[in-house]
Amino acid sequence: MEDPGACRLYIGTSGYSYGEWVDSGFYPDGTHSSNMLDCYIKAFHAVELNYTWYQMPKAPAMERMCEKVPEHFKFSAKLTRTLTHEVQKDLWQKEVLAFRQGMEPLVRAKKLLCILIQLPPYFERSVDFRNYLAALLDELSGLPLAVEFRHDSWVNDKVFSELERRRITLVNVDEPDLPGLFPRLCAVTNPDLFYIRFHGRNAKGWRSGSMQKQFDYDYADQELKEWAERVKTELMPEAAVGGIFFNNHVRGQAPKNALRLMDLLLKKGGGKTPWNAP
Amino acid sequence: MERAVIHLNIADFAVAVETNRSPSLRGRPLIIAPEGAPRAVVYDMSDKAYQEGIRKGMPLARARRLNRNIPVLSPGFNRYEQVMKDLLKETFAFTPLVEHGSFDGHLFLDVTSSGRLFGPSADVAFRLKKIFKSTFNLDPIWSVATSKLVAKVATRLVKPQGEYIVAPGDEEAFLAPLPLHLIPGLTTADLNRLREFNLFSVSEARNLTLEQLKISFLQKAPLIYDWIRGMDPSPVRTFSETASTLSADHEFSNDTNHAGILKKTLYLMIEQICKVLRDKNLHSGETKLILSYSDGLQSASTSKRSPSTSNDMVLFKKCALLLDKAWTRRVRIRHMRLICETLCPPMVQAELFAPETRETKQAALIRAMDRIRNRFGHAAIQAGLTLTGETTSS
Repeated sequence: MEDPGACRLYIGTSGYSYGEWVDSGFYPDGTHSSNMLDCYIKAFHAVELNYTWYQMPKAPAMERMCEKVPEHFKFSAKLTRTLTHEVQKDLWQKEVLAFRQGMEPLVRAKKLLCILIQLPPYFERSVDFRNYLAALLDELSGLPLAVEFRHDSWVNDKVFSELERRRITLVNVDEPDLPGLFPRLCAVTNPDLFYIRFHGRNAKGWRSGSMQKQFDYDYADQELKEWAERVKTELMPEAAVGGIFFNNHVRGQAPKNALRLMDLLLKKGGGKTPWNAP
Repeated sequence: MERAVIHLNIADFAVAVETNRSPSLRGRPLIIAPEGAPRAVVYDMSDKAYQEGIRKGMPLARARRLNRNIPVLSPGFNRYEQVMKDLLKETFAFTPLVEHGSFDGHLFLDVTSSGRLFGPSADVAFRLKKIFKSTFNLDPIWSVATSKLVAKVATRLVKPQGEYIVAPGDEEAFLAPLPLHLIPGLTTADLNRLREFNLFSVSEARNLTLEQLKISFLQKAPLIYDWIRGMDPSPVRTFSETASTLSADHEFSNDTNHAGILKKTLYLMIEQICKVLRDKNLHSGETKLILSYSDGLQSASTSKRSPSTSNDMVLFKKCALLLDKAWTRRVRIRHMRLICETLCPPMVQAELFAPETRETKQAALIRAMDRIRNRFGHAAIQAGLTLTGETTSS
């Protein structure tokens, strides 16, 4: 896959329902939470669903969500916390079944970009965790999967080779340069999909315990330009589809940065829209 | 924009508090009811006891017939209240808009405006759940919705464990397939009436127009019409720390219906509260007396005291009437609680040449008693009423 023009990009944000995005001007004044998705789809063609991390997705709610978005729109859904952060030894396989059932409407409607497996910072590359991850990936097989590590012990060729063998996407993360955190890479382990998550580089707020501090970061134009270059030259030629999501939601910085990156990629593409514009 | 309301519900709250005190009871069927009382009813029960057919309000004798092996613990209302206070403290870190039930493990939080500080409402709910679990070993069900009604239905749906986020705009679709008995506010009589029309689910009831509902439900029809559509504008009632209350409790070591003992206890509680009021230079406006009977039932009586007071004798005169009003049953009383609300500073402008009245004489007497007690201890001087009758203990 040499031609970057063959790669379809889905750019968006992690979640879309934030009251502060009205204050920041991304949503028009007076936008109600129930109308935010309608406004969001006018700017982006994909979104990460955060709420599926908090609660097991339910098929009827997913169906209703599918009906609200246009045909080309894609969802990336976070795997529920009971399968990543609060795993119960005897129950997790049942949880996978429930999760699959909840995701069924998205799969059927061909609106699922991938399942995002976001692992906790304490999830080190130990024997137990390796075994669990392998078992989890087996149970989820058949679904498009992307794995996000938050611990640098997973930076290992064997890990990347195994992900390649399974055609599972490694999530490239942009986060602060702090010891122990997964570094900023540009890796493609799955020719079907590459994936980037922009968390912001707020080193001071990262371990504050407050999301509002952790993800409070406004990417500088130069930082986005560097990423646009890397996306164009290193990632797009290697995969058929790309997912790029901004998680720095505080004060509407995520949609602002996402739109700017789209703009930069458009320029890099010589005016050719690199994402699947309707 | 729509509100973001969190509902935290600690299922079987009394059982959860008691099993924290006695961990060996965890996971076993358990009944909370006043033991030894002849007509005691079940105050709360564990999920396992529920599965055995035990229900709240069921006569204890009947519950025992269902299963004699289920242990029974007496309710500890003071404990439940203290735990609720501790939980409230944690929630105030996220929002001042918190509404709570009376020691029942239910909390509503309006976090609409605190999103900029603490992030999305689902995250606040999740964090509170983790705090409750790690600090108090209590594991609440939580839900997030745009109203108290929808949030409450959501927690009812996942009880005894879990969480539910109802997306804004999704309320009608969320409620549609649910049975009507899950809608808060619909009484048994309302449900029976709807059943008479073969209406069992929310979607079925929605087929009725407002005019049709009015035929059966009169003034309540508009409310029902809104509820089944997920519309509930009722606010999360603010708990204002400034509008504080003072309360005193007494749990009788032996349940009693002896009028002398009850009045003596009431006077001691009033003395306790009025001393704090005088120390803080406050007066009490509204007074509420709650009696808990041996069988677990409660009765309450409220009175507005105008003008407000911190005078033991004046307040006692009023509270004695409250006791008569609240004490409506022949069943013995286990617990008495006096709450003084609407605390306010006293009127400072006194009349220059005010005639000496009974109340001013009493006030002078109380001031003298306070001075004696401050110097020689509380037991140095006592009101005659408190010397009569049997000795009680808390």
